[in-house]
Amino acid sequence: MPIRFLKRKAVCTEGVDVEAAETLHGWLLEAPGRSVDLAGCTHLHPANLQVLLASGAPVTALPADADLAAWLSPLLAPKG
Amino acid sequence: MSRLLDQFLAEARELLQGIATGLMQLERAPGDGDAMNALFRCVHTLKGNSGLFDFPEMMRLLHAAEDLMDAVRGGSLAFTPALADRLLGAADLVSALCDQVERGGDTRGPQGEAAVALATSLRALLAPSPEEGTRPLAAVQPAIDLPEAALAAARVHGGGEALHFLRYTPAADCYFSGDDPLHAVRQAPGRIWGRIVAPTDWPPLAELDAYANRLGFELLSTAPREALDRHFRYVADQVTIVPVPPPAPQADAVPDLPALLATQRATLLEADRPDWHPGRVRAVVAVLVNTARQLGRTALAEQLPALGEAFLRDDDVAPLLAAVDALAAHQAPTPEPARAEEPAAARSSLRVDQARIDRLLNLVGEMAVARNALPYLARHAARLDGGRELEREIKAQHAAISRITDELQAAIMQIRMMPVALVFERFPRLVRDLARKLGKQVDLVLEGEETEADKNIVESLSDPLVHMVRNSLDHGLETPEERRAAGKSETGRLLIRAGQEGDRIRIEIRDDGRGIDPARIRARAVERGLIAAEAAAQLSDREAVQLVFLPGFSTAAAISDLSGRGVGMDVVRTAVERLHGDIALEGSPGQGTSVRIVLPLSVAVTRVLVIESDGQRFALPIDGVVETLRVPEADIQGMANGRVIVRRGRIVPLRALNAALGVAAEPRRNSAGELAILVLQRGDEQVGLIVDDFRETLDIIQKPLAGVLAGIDAYSGSTLMGDGGVVMVLNPRRLW
Repeated sequence: MPIRFLKRKAVCTEGVDVEAAETLHGWLLEAPGRSVDLAGCTHLHPANLQVLLASGAPVTALPADADLAAWLSPLLAPKG
Repeated sequence: MSRLLDQFLAEARELLQGIATGLMQLERAPGDGDAMNALFRCVHTLKGNSGLFDFPEMMRLLHAAEDLMDAVRGGSLAFTPALADRLLGAADLVSALCDQVERGGDTRGPQGEAAVALATSLRALLAPSPEEGTRPLAAVQPAIDLPEAALAAARVHGGGEALHFLRYTPAADCYFSGDDPLHAVRQAPGRIWGRIVAPTDWPPLAELDAYANRLGFELLSTAPREALDRHFRYVADQVTIVPVPPPAPQADAVPDLPALLATQRATLLEADRPDWHPGRVRAVVAVLVNTARQLGRTALAEQLPALGEAFLRDDDVAPLLAAVDALAAHQAPTPEPARAEEPAAARSSLRVDQARIDRLLNLVGEMAVARNALPYLARHAARLDGGRELEREIKAQHAAISRITDELQAAIMQIRMMPVALVFERFPRLVRDLARKLGKQVDLVLEGEETEADKNIVESLSDPLVHMVRNSLDHGLETPEERRAAGKSETGRLLIRAGQEGDRIRIEIRDDGRGIDPARIRARAVERGLIAAEAAAQLSDREAVQLVFLPGFSTAAAISDLSGRGVGMDVVRTAVERLHGDIALEGSPGQGTSVRIVLPLSVAVTRVLVIESDGQRFALPIDGVVETLRVPEADIQGMANGRVIVRRGRIVPLRALNAALGVAAEPRRNSAGELAILVLQRGDEQVGLIVDDFRETLDIIQKPLAGVLAGIDAYSGSTLMGDGGVVMVLNPRRLW
C-alpha cells in the first residue's frame, strides 16, 4: 500500500499509483483538517496531485526525492 | 489490422492528397502563404500521426520534408519545380510505405531504405547554409510563447547547447489509457528544467473528478528533437516541441534597444531640475515600462512607476539606473507573436466501412422485393370470399411501405454518392508530371468536380480517365514547337468536364491538340485487319473515328512509355460499358479531340423493363430503351443481312431475342398478328429487339452472376421478383 492512512495524516511512500487517488480522495473528503506527508514518496501519479491541489490539504513534508520535490514544490508549499 | 492503424492509413491518404495539391499550388504561386500553411499543416499532421506507430523510416522522411518546407516558409530556401519534384517524390514514397504497411504492417525493406536515403538527401538541401537555415526556422516555428520561467532556465543553462521547449497537454482522459504524464516528463531525455502547470480554479473536492486530467507539463531539454519525438511518440498529438532560440544578443531582439536605453539613461542623469523635470522623468519611466514589458520583464515593469515616483520624491536616481541597467543586460529573445493554432475544422462527418453501407443497401433491396410481393398478395386476397376489403387494405399498406422503402433507398444511395473530384484531383499531378516528361506545356482545366455519382461509378472511372488523359498528352497535344508552327498558342489546353444530365453523368475530355484523322484511322484499322477495306471506305468520318475503340487498335507508331502499351481505347470502352455507360469520340485533324462518356449515376439500383420471351421473363435496363413498338409483320422488310424496320426515316435493324439467346422458338405474335419490338439505343444507332411481350417496369438491385453464369456476357446480372421468381438482367450491348 503506497499510502498509510493515520488518524489525521496520510503518509505516502514510494510510488503512489493511479488507483491510490480514489482512496486518497475519499479519505480527504471524510473529515476536514487532514494532511499529507510526501517525504517517502518517489513518484506521484498526477491523479493524486490533482486531489491534493483541489483539496488544498496541507502537505507536511515534500518528497525527499529531490527531483520529485522540484516538480511538486511550486504547487505544494509545505505547511506545518 | 488495428482500428487505429486503419484510421491512420485512411487519413494519411487524404493528407498525402492535400500535400500533392498544396505542392502544385505553390509551384504555380510560390508566394501563396495560405497554401504554404495548409501544406505545412498536412505534413505536420501526417508526421505527428506516423509517430503514433513504429514507422521510423516514414517518420524520418516526413520530418525531413517538414524541415525543408519550414525553410521554404521561412524564406531561406526557394521553392523551385525541382524542389517540388523532390517533395512530390517524397509524398509518393510515403504513399508506397502506407501501402506496404497495409499489406505487411511495417515500413522496413527497400522502400524503407529508399525513404531514409531520400530523407538524407532532402536534409542535404537544407545543409548548405546551416547558419541562415536555422535562424528563420526558429523565427517562424513557434506557435507557442515560451513561458518566462523556461526562458530564464534557458538563460541559466547558457547558449552552449541547442535547447527544445516541450509543452505536453495531456488529454483529459489520458489516465484511462494508462498514461502517467508526470512519469513521462520525468523520464524525458536531456531535461534541464520542468514544471507542472496546474489550474487554480479547482472544483470543490467532493465534485472533483480526479481522473480527468487538468494538468499541463512543460520542460526544457538538451536532447535532440528526434529523441524527444521518440520519447513522446505515443502522445505526439498532445505534445508541442519548439526549439528555444539561442539567447540572442539584444541588438537582434530589438535593434535599437541599447541606443534607446542609453538615451533614457542620459536623460535620467541630467543634473538640472527644470519645471518639466517630473514630466521628463515620467516619460522616461513610461519608455522603460514599455521596454520591460516588451522584454517580458513584467515584474520590473510594475515596479518602475514606483521607482520613478521615488526618484522625484528623494532625488535618488540609483534605483532607476539599476533598472535601466537590468533591462540593458536582459538578454531577451525576440518576443514571439502569440499565434492561435488554427482550429481543425470541426468534423461532423463519419467514416464508415463501405461494407456496412453495402449491407444496408442489400437489406433495402430485399425489403423492396418483399414489398413487391404485396400486390401478389392483394390479388390473391381479391379471389377470396369477401376479400375485396382485404385487397384494398393491402394495397394501402403497400403504398405506404413503398414510399418508405423508396425514401430509404434514396437516402442510402445518397450516402454512396461521391463527387467526381475524388478522381479529378489526381489529374493535376498526373498532367504536371507527364507534361514535364514530354516537354509539353499543358493547361489543365477541371470543371464540374462537384458532380456526384455512386462511389462504384466514380472509382471505376479512375482508370479509364487516366488512360484517356495519358492519350491526350501523349498523342493529342503537340510540343510547343509544333504548336507554334501550327499557329496555336504554345500551351495546350486539356479540359475535363463533368456534369449531370438527368439520371446520367456526362464526362468530357477535350484537348486542342493535333486531333484525329479519320483517313489515318481507316488505314490503320484495315492494316491491322480489324475491318475490311471496303467496309472502312463506307464508314462516315464520324463512324471511322470510333474504330479506335476496337480491340487491338493503336495508332502510336512507337510504343511509348506513357500509353500504347498494347492496351488501347477498347479497354476504356469495356470499362465504361461494364458500368452501363456509353463512350464516343469526336475530332478532326488539327482541331483537337473530344471523348464523351455518359454513365448512369448509380449502378446499385437499376430501373428495368421486364419483357417476356418464350415463356421466360427477362429484364432490360430502361435507360437504353428508346421505345416499345407493336409492328405488323408486313412492315418488317428483309435486307441482305437480316430484317429491318424503318422508323422516322431511320433504318432499324432487328434481331429476335430468342435467336440471340439461342432459343429455338419463333417470336410470338399477339392476336392482331403484331410483333413486339423493343427499340434500343446503341451509341449513335438504334436497334430493335423482337420479344414476345412487354411487362412492367421495376426498380431492381442487380446481383452479379457467379460461377458458370458469370462468363455469359449476354447477362449482366440477376434479380429477385416480388413473387419470388428469379429474373435474368440482359446486357443489351452484348446481344448483337
